[in-house]
Amino acid sequence: MSAAGRMSLRNVVKRYGTFTALRGITLDIEPGEFFALLGPSGSGKTTTLRILAGLETVDEGTVMLDDADVTHSEPGERDVAMVFQSYALYPHMTVYDNIAFPLKMVGMKKAEIGAAVRAAAAKVHIDHLLDRRPGQLSGGQQQRCALARAIVRQPRLFLLDEPLSNLDAKLRLETRVELKKLQRSLGVTTAYVTHDQEEAMTIADRLAVFMDGNIVQVGTPETVFARPNSIEVATFLGNPPMNLLPGVLCGRALRVGQHAVALAHDYGSTERPVMLGVRPGAFRIDGAGIPAQVDLTEQLGDSVIADLRVADTLIRVRLPERTRLAEGTQVRVTFDAEDAHLFDPETHARL
Amino acid sequence: MMAQAQVSLAGRERRFALTLFLPAFVVLLITTTFPIVYLIWNSFFRLNLSMPWRSGFAGFGNYVRMAGDARFWHSLELTAIYTVCTVTLQVLLGLGLALLVTRIRKGQALLRVVSILPIVLAPVVVGLFWRTLVLSPDFGVADFATAALGFGHPNWLGDPGLALIAVIAIHTWQWTPFVFMVLLASLASLPPDVYEAARIDRANAWQRFWHITLPLIRPAIVIVVILRMTIALSAFAALFAATGGGPGTATEILNLYAYRMSFNELSLGYGSALAVVLLVITLIVSFLMFSLRRQR
Amino acid sequence: MKRSTIRTVVALAVAMVLLLVWAFPIIWGLITSFKTERDVLAYPPTVVFHPTLSNYWDVLFGATSILPNFTSSIILAGATTVLTMLLAVPAAYALARLALPAKRATGFYVLITQMLPPVGLVIPYYLVFSRIGWLDTYRGLVLIYLTFSLPFAIWLMVSYFEDIPHEMEEAALLDRAGRWRALWHVILPQARGGIAVTLIFVFLNAWNEFLFAVVLGGNTVRPVTVAMFNYISVEQTLWGKLAAAAMIAMLPVILLGLVAQKHIVKGLTVGAVKGGGRR
Repeated sequence: MSAAGRMSLRNVVKRYGTFTALRGITLDIEPGEFFALLGPSGSGKTTTLRILAGLETVDEGTVMLDDADVTHSEPGERDVAMVFQSYALYPHMTVYDNIAFPLKMVGMKKAEIGAAVRAAAAKVHIDHLLDRRPGQLSGGQQQRCALARAIVRQPRLFLLDEPLSNLDAKLRLETRVELKKLQRSLGVTTAYVTHDQEEAMTIADRLAVFMDGNIVQVGTPETVFARPNSIEVATFLGNPPMNLLPGVLCGRALRVGQHAVALAHDYGSTERPVMLGVRPGAFRIDGAGIPAQVDLTEQLGDSVIADLRVADTLIRVRLPERTRLAEGTQVRVTFDAEDAHLFDPETHARL
Repeated sequence: MMAQAQVSLAGRERRFALTLFLPAFVVLLITTTFPIVYLIWNSFFRLNLSMPWRSGFAGFGNYVRMAGDARFWHSLELTAIYTVCTVTLQVLLGLGLALLVTRIRKGQALLRVVSILPIVLAPVVVGLFWRTLVLSPDFGVADFATAALGFGHPNWLGDPGLALIAVIAIHTWQWTPFVFMVLLASLASLPPDVYEAARIDRANAWQRFWHITLPLIRPAIVIVVILRMTIALSAFAALFAATGGGPGTATEILNLYAYRMSFNELSLGYGSALAVVLLVITLIVSFLMFSLRRQR
Repeated sequence: MKRSTIRTVVALAVAMVLLLVWAFPIIWGLITSFKTERDVLAYPPTVVFHPTLSNYWDVLFGATSILPNFTSSIILAGATTVLTMLLAVPAAYALARLALPAKRATGFYVLITQMLPPVGLVIPYYLVFSRIGWLDTYRGLVLIYLTFSLPFAIWLMVSYFEDIPHEMEEAALLDRAGRWRALWHVILPQARGGIAVTLIFVFLNAWNEFLFAVVLGGNTVRPVTVAMFNYISVEQTLWGKLAAAAMIAMLPVILLGLVAQKHIVKGLTVGAVKGGGRR
């Protein structure tokens, strides 16, 4: 159990008939890191996870685990544990037998199994439920049972497929924190699939954003959030999502309608159209800014979200908590140069 | 006031339920329970329709006679062999086929058609078919097959041992598709992600079958065994058509012995007693099987 | 993965062989029905021959025509099915969904009546019928046919009724339908599929019944299952005619089986996996 647990995918392609689910995925997951696979439904993140598990074959490319090529290895040969979205607990076995199952399959002695099972169960706080059947457990308890079954074998890699999606909102937030702490204490390399960007941002050490079968950006949550490399990534992360406004760029000047902002970087003397991205929290009300009309305000308690209309575009702006704006009011908003994200309107790529 | 209303509501439901249920219940009582009581009553008599002057009260005489009747014990033995063999074969073949077929997507429609036909045919027709077309000496297909394979011309219907094998084969042939279809449906209803979890938990194909598939389809298997056992205990038409209980008494299960005693030899008192014993055996076996169901 | 393709090929091969085993006797019977008696007795058995319709002609219109027996079967099976459904469907509803007094005991009773060996019933029936002159009558035979079709139909319909969500009656009662109308307008339409399957099975079992018909029937009531023996005697077997007669006798149930395949499969599995379970 001393192997590091580094996973690598090189140019992995996966097709289902005429549909290409993965178009060439290259990924490195470092030992001990909590890595999130993030993306909308159908983007290929779950397929990638299942390929890591060995539950799907690859059409092209390689899968490496600590310098060993495991592309064609059976799931049981890979020393990988998985927590399924549905938990996939063995319905006819007790919690104890569920957790003990992977150890039993490799012929561990009964006495050793007992100790390992109890230790794993204690780590996730279900040691008092060992005699129950999955059908007698709540959703949260079932999930912990699935976790215990995964950690009991001390694998090199943990795979988690949207493990929190079946829990109610409050439980989801609590379990998120516990999962992070658990992973820290065990130090196991973990790959975690989710479509919830807030979840990925809070829990992951690094993440990969999937879109349409490709990985479009890899990095720490902070870097991906601060410097998204495309419009799609920019609008996927953050709630409310990043606002997009059409503008014109020339040299150091960015023009949005009549308003001009001075940028730190010189982008060349040819005038070009750009898509400007500004996060809701980066806007502020300023007498000398872009004119806008208030459509609606939402009081969130600790902040206010205002829907503003700028020419034809609707933007959402986060304002301090006591702000009062009547509908129809004309205001002016502005932002700082470093909060401006510039994208090419054709390629959607970051400039 | 409320309590009164509730009581009359419950009362109305009860009366409604009884109105719906009573006709069927009365019919059942008349058609099944009274005849069985009459059967038991007759078993205490000597009732010989060909020699009516010998009829009269016999007390437990018929049962005493049965205890010393070699033909009875032989029929009991045959019943046990027949039932155990057919049910075991049906389950093994049916399960094996079902496991094989769950992997194959295409061709399930064809399999369904082929599985349905043996089941919808009348057992008497199945017995006749096998007797004439398959097992007939010199003309039957089985004869042709064994000759071609070098096993000569076995006398399927004339040899006591072979006749027993033949009737077991006939029954198994007709009812294995039933077991096959029930178990196939049961296998199809198993959650697939549990198997993926087992593969990741390093269980090989045999371990997955033993620890996951088998326990999960156990309820279906038990029900199938119960159903097939009760049918095998009272199997009549196919046996009657194929061998009539013969040669001699080589395939005379208790069922057939009771029939022959009652309607060939017209000794209905003794026949009744034999039937009563069969009834008791059937009930005991059913209860045993049902208690097996409740064990988990 | 080469492993899984080899397994699939082997599986397919075995499945093919077994398919043959089950299809063969029926196909062989069909072929035989078109052979003359001489071709039938040919050895080795021939597959290529000169087909003839003479067997079917004889069996349908000849001296030993099976048509009156076919009619007999229709009357017997039809009457049994109608009577059974009329009695069983309401009874099953009461057992499954209503507060029937002593529900567990009555459910148990219905289950037991399914387990009575037919030979144990045919003896007392024979004695009683011969005394009251009900031998060889349709009413007599339908009565004893009810012993196997009624409990079976109740058992099967109970499992179908249990599948309907409980809110149905409650919604109908709130809509002031009353219990009878709730049953007729709301529950029964939902149980249509189950009723169809039960009907098919009851008819099938009644059509195929042999023991009761051969002991308690006679010249008036002589369904096709008994008439099959017309073509076998001690001296000889009229092979071709027997095969043709069998084909005709089994035509209704084969058609039912093919047409209602999915229903039948569902009925088998529902009955086996669910019924007899909750008592």
